[in-house]
Amino acid sequence: MGTSYIYKRDASRLFIAVRDSGKRYKIYIPKESNPVINSVEQDINFVEQEDFHYIFDWKGKRFHCELVSRDQNKAVIKVNGVEYKYSLESIFSYIRRGMINSDENKIDANNIIAPMPGKIVDIFLSDGDLVNEGEPILTLEAMKMQNEITANCNGVIRKIRVQTGQSVMKDELLVEIQSIDV
Amino acid sequence: MKKRILIANRSEIAIRIIRSAHKLGMLAVVFKSDKEPDALYLKYADEIIPAKDSLREKAIFLDAERIVQLALAHNIDLIHPGYGFLSENPDFAALCIENNINFVGPSPELIREMGLKTVAKSMAIKSGLPLVPGSDGPVNDAGAAKGFADKIGYPVILKASAGGGGRGMRIVEKPETIERNFKSASDEALAAFGNGDMFIEKYLQNPKHLEFQILGDKHGNVIHLGERECSLQRKHQKIVEESPSASVTPEMRKEMGDMAVRFAKSIGYYSAGTIEFIMDEDGSYFFMEMNTRIQVEHPVTEMVTGVDLVDWQIRIALGEELTINQEDIKINGWAIECRVNTEDPQNRFSPQTGFIDKIHFPIDSSIRIETGVVSGSVVTPYFDSMIAKIIVHGKDRGEAIEKSLAALYEFSLIGLKTTVPFCRTVLKHPDFVNATYTTRWVDQVFSPEMLENEEDEMIGALAATIMYASEYLQLSSDLPTYKHDSLNVWVLNKRLNY
Repeated sequence: MGTSYIYKRDASRLFIAVRDSGKRYKIYIPKESNPVINSVEQDINFVEQEDFHYIFDWKGKRFHCELVSRDQNKAVIKVNGVEYKYSLESIFSYIRRGMINSDENKIDANNIIAPMPGKIVDIFLSDGDLVNEGEPILTLEAMKMQNEITANCNGVIRKIRVQTGQSVMKDELLVEIQSIDV
Repeated sequence: MKKRILIANRSEIAIRIIRSAHKLGMLAVVFKSDKEPDALYLKYADEIIPAKDSLREKAIFLDAERIVQLALAHNIDLIHPGYGFLSENPDFAALCIENNINFVGPSPELIREMGLKTVAKSMAIKSGLPLVPGSDGPVNDAGAAKGFADKIGYPVILKASAGGGGRGMRIVEKPETIERNFKSASDEALAAFGNGDMFIEKYLQNPKHLEFQILGDKHGNVIHLGERECSLQRKHQKIVEESPSASVTPEMRKEMGDMAVRFAKSIGYYSAGTIEFIMDEDGSYFFMEMNTRIQVEHPVTEMVTGVDLVDWQIRIALGEELTINQEDIKINGWAIECRVNTEDPQNRFSPQTGFIDKIHFPIDSSIRIETGVVSGSVVTPYFDSMIAKIIVHGKDRGEAIEKSLAALYEFSLIGLKTTVPFCRTVLKHPDFVNATYTTRWVDQVFSPEMLENEEDEMIGALAATIMYASEYLQLSSDLPTYKHDSLNVWVLNKRLNY
């Protein structure tokens, strides 16, 4: 399904797991469907859970995962007998860290401004939603025309600055998006 | 009346011997060590003798006097020593015999002679077995060692005459370091074995370890049951063994097997025994030593020959004559044994102790599992780290490798790390598949990164994330004032708890 799969999903379910080698996994855990790992939905079957021991089936193979230790957001997981170390972050702490050290994570703030004066007639998304480039966020009515204002990048909606019914001036700030490559 | 056999051992080998004892209609008696009072093998025994060894320094299995004393008090007919512990201690065998207890093994004299490597080698020479170029007897001092090494060429290996398990052993690459190495190895041997005698021989750079299983009775009959290859070792101890060996041709098997039988006959050997050879890259082979016990890896031989070695060990001890001839021994297919040790292959095979929360073994008609543990067992620091052996039979080597890998993937243990991922890495590696691996494989080829793979890494990331997320989302809903971008969840958890 590509990147459109995460359309309008709750960003609080998106996490970043970074291995000690530096290898990064973006993992989206939906309520009821398959996890999306690095933007690809994976048909991973959750077989069993017991305390800190999970069993998965994937590609006809079985994976025993055991939480060996954890310290703050660092976790050591034993997978089929071999230990791997990860540090984990929610997308929010990931963004925050990215803002502090922007070289590392390629995270930028993207502002969407009103292209013309008008009135906000509809808002489709809310703060904290994941958004894809080109996805409509709100409708701006100007000169009797309904204009869809779309996201200019992939990311998380940081803050919607306007409310339905509000009139806005040209170049007024409408939405802040935290750009992330998800 | 049923004969009473005491097994002076523990864990999987105790259970293995109990099985044979029952097959032969005997009553199996074991010791309950205070160092391991809930051990699995106790459940298989007909009678348990409390060893009360908690206050003693030694576990009961190492206490020859006390074993015999308790055996006499419990009307024991035979003692099976298993492997390790006192299995190759001639004084223990002698003590049993002095007290009219049948020792399952060869005579104390043979154990003693084979235990002294220089004596064993001189006896091997008499039967025409090839030896690695080296000193005929112990070398007394560092100077003499240097003189000898200069003559046969470097590298050389210094070995304790009474040694084993890698202690009192040094590899010397150049003349400048031989004197220093001689001193330290000799001191180590003196401390470990009470005997500082050293011998010296040419060091083979990339050898294979081959061994021939023999069975001899008390009537002069000896047969061999083919070879095992045990080249895959870490810290000089075997991890993966196979039978037969891909490096032994049928002609070599006959030649080496005949040699092993000739040697065993010449020394009047009886019981099960193993004659070890070291093979150089060019295929030349040399006698190393003879082991007078049942070996850990005996099941691979049993699987390809169909001969029950432990049964025969006991029957031979009772004076029975072998009913199998050399012609009856046919090698059928291929067998591989993988040892499951509670060790961390990602951290120099350091031993792991503690609880086995859950253990699962593969089940199949071509798989044999020998284990001394179940879910809930404790691995103590008092004993060896080997908890199980997974032995798999295939119609040929390829199938045996394939089935072994499937078995190793099905195995799981929650609680401790094991050598199973290491065995999987070995069995998948081209050096094993092509049978070119040598005893140096772990040192020269293996690195812990080889244990990892991308699929495991990705699923691990998912598992870590789910564990993290379940708390994260739980906390978000539990605390309405909690803003999920304000704190990392595990940090928060800690703050809430303190």
